[in-house]
Amino acid sequence: MNFRHKFVFLLPGLLILIGILIFPIVFTVRLSLSSWDSFFPGLDFIGLDNYIRLFTDDKRFWESFFRLSFLSVTTVLLQYIIGFSLALIVWKDIIFQRFFRVLFLIPMMTTPVIMTVIWRTFFHESLGPVNDFFSLFGVTPLWLSDETLAKVTVIIVEVWQWTPFMFLLLLAGLLSLPKEPFLAAAIDGASPIRKFIYVTFPLMAPISIGAIIIRLIEASKIMDTVYVLTSGGPGTATETSSFYIFIKGLREFQMGYSAALSFTYLIIMIISLTIIAKLLVKLLINNN
Amino acid sequence: MELVTDNLTFKPENEYFLNQVSLEFQAGKLYTILGRTLSGKTSLLKTIAGLQPIDSGSITFEGKDFGSIQVWKRNVAMVYQQFINYPHLNVFDNIAFPLKQRKIKPPELVNKVSSAIRKVGLDGFEKRKIHELSGGQQQRVALARSLVKKAKILLLDEPLVNLDYKLREDLRDEFKNIFSSDFSTNSILIYSSTDPLEAMQLNGDIIVIDEGRILQSGIAKDVFENPSNIRVSEVTNDPAMNIFNGTIESNKIFLNENIRFDVPVHLKAIQAGSYHFGIRASDMFLDTKGFDFNVEIAEISGSETYLHLNQDELNVVLLLEEVKNFNDQDNIKINFNLKKLYVFDEKGDLLFSPFNMN
Repeated sequence: MNFRHKFVFLLPGLLILIGILIFPIVFTVRLSLSSWDSFFPGLDFIGLDNYIRLFTDDKRFWESFFRLSFLSVTTVLLQYIIGFSLALIVWKDIIFQRFFRVLFLIPMMTTPVIMTVIWRTFFHESLGPVNDFFSLFGVTPLWLSDETLAKVTVIIVEVWQWTPFMFLLLLAGLLSLPKEPFLAAAIDGASPIRKFIYVTFPLMAPISIGAIIIRLIEASKIMDTVYVLTSGGPGTATETSSFYIFIKGLREFQMGYSAALSFTYLIIMIISLTIIAKLLVKLLINNN
Repeated sequence: MELVTDNLTFKPENEYFLNQVSLEFQAGKLYTILGRTLSGKTSLLKTIAGLQPIDSGSITFEGKDFGSIQVWKRNVAMVYQQFINYPHLNVFDNIAFPLKQRKIKPPELVNKVSSAIRKVGLDGFEKRKIHELSGGQQQRVALARSLVKKAKILLLDEPLVNLDYKLREDLRDEFKNIFSSDFSTNSILIYSSTDPLEAMQLNGDIIVIDEGRILQSGIAKDVFENPSNIRVSEVTNDPAMNIFNGTIESNKIFLNENIRFDVPVHLKAIQAGSYHFGIRASDMFLDTKGFDFNVEIAEISGSETYLHLNQDELNVVLLLEEVKNFNDQDNIKINFNLKKLYVFDEKGDLLFSPFNMN
């Protein structure tokens, strides 16, 4: 067979790959080297000016980045703890097992934007049912307009929305575990709590790592919740990286600069998630 | 110090797993529960360990009600027919697991684990993961794990059944050595098996179980020589004892129209009537003056030959202690060692045995 024929067969796949993956990245990089904005659209070349501005003169981006790190780590940890607990509850034979398994999945099946609108109504400071309840005790917390509480509200909604996903992965993991080690552990004198610490948890480590990484990737893209709930406010108290990039790109139309932000963000995410995955493996699997 | 089970019954659906099992186990002794697959051996062991519920009955250990004690608080160790270990731990940590549950700390922990590893012959494998071991080695790990905590009750549920022939022989010898050196007076050892030969070799008390019911118990030699009924004779012999329906008339035994012989000396007291006669496969022999039989199948196993023979409707299995080739449908003559003839009544209970009955 001659070489040209092989190339023809590879071509469709290659074209699609170039079209949907490589071109956007290359274009983003090229865009980040230009000053494209609403006044002067077009691909001029300004060198690394955007990157210099990003690293020296944009406190807001870095603040939003650390805020994002805090929010995603907190929400994913909470999701993991709650999701694991729920999975453990319905793992055992309990009454209405099937009913609970489905019930716990409902939040994941709803549309995030719509549910966030409903949550915003819940937490509305003068009209929402949450403050109706709190006013019984004579307090009306500012759920959406206090800097700290707004973060708490975002965390609550994110955890509510995505715990089911964690629950689903962990329950599937639990159901796939071999039964025998648990038999052995009971005979070997392990109480239920110790059985969890020394058998269930270590056996679940690989699945846990997978679930946590998947959720971290998803959580670091927090956007719709923040957009609907607080629009990044009050001030910039709940502004995350993706929301900030969205503002720079699609509100202020600084296309070149937002491309530089996106590309930097992508690189940071790849590096940090790789490190986190390695650390988790070291912590949970190699160190038993 | 003893373990007593009283009328244990467990019937989850239509079938009895355990049916009024009442037994007594003394410390310092080895018991072999012998039964076919699904006869209730595993159920009994699991019930003693506390892994399986019961419908009625009770277990007492050292005078205390055992049933109300949680599994992990019972002083029990168990080795299963499958090789059960902790896949996420290495050999050392697997064996250390039961000790860690008892909060035993390093210098002592390391000593105990190392000596258990040495005892089962796994030196040098401490750092291996379980899936890097062979089946026999995995079962050694499981055995070491059960030995290391010096439990007062050690349950072994067909521990050798999933190993190949040669390994089974080796490991069985090692088991016997370990048991005799480690479990002299303090522990109750209960071993379950489907293999009569294995039960005889372990040479402890034998408990024959079938369909959840205890058929007979006693020392190995007694159970082998005087099986209390036909069922026991099937379970305790491999190949199963040959059973014939026959009659006794005027001091002659008739098995069918062609096969008849004088009543042997040990059966002189027997009255005329119809009975089941039993004879072991090894108590028949080739004899040119014997009865005609056709060879159905001849199988050579090791240094022995099993002959499946028939004559009219009569099927027998004969064990020859030599290797000999036969062709299917060969005509051969065999005879019976009548001194080893058993007689069971019509219900299947033992009436006469060639050995002294007590």
